[in-house]
Amino acid sequence: MKLALFGNQNSGKTSLFNALTGSNQKVGNWPGVTIDRVEGYIKKNNSTIVDLPGVYSLSPYTSEEEISRRFVLDEKIDLIINIVDATQLERSLYLTTQLLELDVDVVIALNMYDLLQHKGIKINVKKLEDELGVTIIPISAKTGAGINRLKETIFKRRYKRNKHKPIYPDDVEEFIQRVAKEFKYVRPTKNGKPHKRFGAVKILEEDRDYRILMDEKLKAAHLALEQSYGMDGEQLVASLRYDYIVRIRRKCVHYQKRKETRTDKVDRIFLNKFLAIPIFILIMAIVYFVSISLVGGLTASLIDAAFNGTEHLTIYIGTHPIVFDQGAIGLGPLLANWLGGLGASSWAIGLLTDGVIAGTGAVISFVPQLIMLFICLSVLETTGYMSRIAFFLDRVFHKIGLSGKSLIPFIVGAGCSVPGVMSTRIIEDENEKKATLALVPFIPCSAKLPIISLVCATFFPAWGFALALVFYLMAIVIIFVLALIIKKFTKKKEHSTFISELPSYKIPSLKYVGRDVGDKTWSFVKRAGTVVVFFSVIVCVLASFTWNFQYVDGTRINIDESMLAGIGNGFAWFFYPMLGCQWNWAASVSAIQGLIAKEQVVSSIRVIEAAGGLGLFDSFTPLTAFAYAAFNLFSIPCIATISTMRAELKSVRKVILIMLMELLVAWLIASLIGVWGVLL
Amino acid sequence: MKKAKHILLHSGEEGHLSDLRRGQKCIVLDFHNDNAALRRRLLDMGITKGVIIEIKKIAPLGDPIDIRLRGYELCIRKADMEGIDIRVL
Repeated sequence: MKLALFGNQNSGKTSLFNALTGSNQKVGNWPGVTIDRVEGYIKKNNSTIVDLPGVYSLSPYTSEEEISRRFVLDEKIDLIINIVDATQLERSLYLTTQLLELDVDVVIALNMYDLLQHKGIKINVKKLEDELGVTIIPISAKTGAGINRLKETIFKRRYKRNKHKPIYPDDVEEFIQRVAKEFKYVRPTKNGKPHKRFGAVKILEEDRDYRILMDEKLKAAHLALEQSYGMDGEQLVASLRYDYIVRIRRKCVHYQKRKETRTDKVDRIFLNKFLAIPIFILIMAIVYFVSISLVGGLTASLIDAAFNGTEHLTIYIGTHPIVFDQGAIGLGPLLANWLGGLGASSWAIGLLTDGVIAGTGAVISFVPQLIMLFICLSVLETTGYMSRIAFFLDRVFHKIGLSGKSLIPFIVGAGCSVPGVMSTRIIEDENEKKATLALVPFIPCSAKLPIISLVCATFFPAWGFALALVFYLMAIVIIFVLALIIKKFTKKKEHSTFISELPSYKIPSLKYVGRDVGDKTWSFVKRAGTVVVFFSVIVCVLASFTWNFQYVDGTRINIDESMLAGIGNGFAWFFYPMLGCQWNWAASVSAIQGLIAKEQVVSSIRVIEAAGGLGLFDSFTPLTAFAYAAFNLFSIPCIATISTMRAELKSVRKVILIMLMELLVAWLIASLIGVWGVLL
Repeated sequence: MKKAKHILLHSGEEGHLSDLRRGQKCIVLDFHNDNAALRRRLLDMGITKGVIIEIKKIAPLGDPIDIRLRGYELCIRKADMEGIDIRVL
């Protein structure tokens, strides 16, 4: 059995999909979380279920609607599950009236049924079922209530057949049925089903894909209808659909007097003229303070000590350092001692401790602060606050050629640029979308957090969080300036639109935040265990041998003669200015590895340090460390982001252009800071 | 965008949806718009002739605007509302 899940944006489709299939797709409280179709499989019933992007209509104007429309017309579907938000019944049923015109059976999953009482709405489900002629199952996708009943109804096929109930006034119905009957007017679809009624209504609407099918006779009848109602076909159909829904709603839904809702009360503060922007800045500052300074300060040096050992353990509570007299031995030195005792050769020990342990330890020590950051971002996404940010910043963003919705990719991008780039699809306007896409990588993602943290922890231990904020501020300034430049160079379109639902605030579900954070953390740890280990070993090997395969022992043969140094020297000219006019192969070769994954930069620096190369304190001054970090944050993103950008833009040329822009911007900024440091 | 957009509309008067202040209610009279995609979107979101719209919230910077209709809330830019003729209730 093949099932398709249809519903408005933010109606809980993906929650239902997860509840039905037991899978773990991403859920959020902003319209447009699902950007492509996702297929799932219900083993027990041997069924496939397709989650489509949220749509309000089956018109062909937006890419989401186009995907859904093509899908429903071209593929064989046994049943449509139409998820309807019970708290927004009127608008939700508008899509239902369109789905019912197809030659497919429909079952309504009436979601958020558990919220009705709180909102003072009563729905007579039995009556609604009779009026619409559709089986309706009240559910709550979030709590799981009603899901079993929904499954039973679907798989035991206990639902009503789609009988194409007439919903329009007699004269309009007559027109539609006449068109539907004369088959030649309706173009056949690929899945063999004629969808005659659907096609006939599209002709009445003068739909872009269907209006060519009208002949002279039909045009006359069409004109007569338009004149008698005083509206064009498109307006007429939309109005009549809503008229029908309002008639049904009056019979089946009872509203208590509307009090000021919780959402309205919260919005009075969060969307207040004077408070909105300070509150937003405060929230973002808290997010980074809590993750970097609070959690990071407490844990990063502890975990690092566990891996590499230390003489004096230092942890930070807020900005207050606590130094312990006692040190820790650490896994690396312990292993080295043990293996040394067993008589292992020094290069093998070096490979394990300097390569694998120092390399992964450098990355793993950031996991606690990343978990905190992921929790904060996930909560921001599920509460509905993201849509508010989009709402109140639209004015500013519109002025610089972006959309208010650009902020959603930017905030998602603070976690990872890959989903950040993909979520630019929610932006309607093509120019605004492309500009946002090009700018998302400038937001420091979670893999860049180790770079920031390392610089902070080494040179500005007590004020790390403030420095992190400086980097984010720089990112914002760069984005604004580049957005204006991009706007200058793109062809002006007359009009761009911003139409978005403002969802109610919701308390984040612990289950989903937990799953989301778990997923992101796992993928970070997995990268540390695979990619980072792999490249750390390579870096270690390259640092341990010369081109003649002589072992770098640190006394006879120096690390500066190693292969890694050779490679680094090839690039060092590029990094010369930003490092304060210093020739530094180690920093250069590490920065290049940021292309693989940004956390690899930190890992590589630590591996080289462990292998006897220049340490952090030796190769950087605070200012050049700052410049170097800035370069790594703002230059070309990792390979995964680049390939996602290519997939979204469908143009290699544009991606190369973006990469050149990033390289130029990052190099200029970093070099200016570095050279300025020398002149001081 | 021109600045001279501070017409105050009173109950019973006609104008554009973009001219209303916070808390005002209106009924949609007509609809004219050259942008086919925008027009269709507005219709799909329920802005049809005769529907009643309330101005709920205005973004802190004055644009976009959050309107309430058909039991839900929708954010929309002022420029996108200019083609909607209304009468204030």
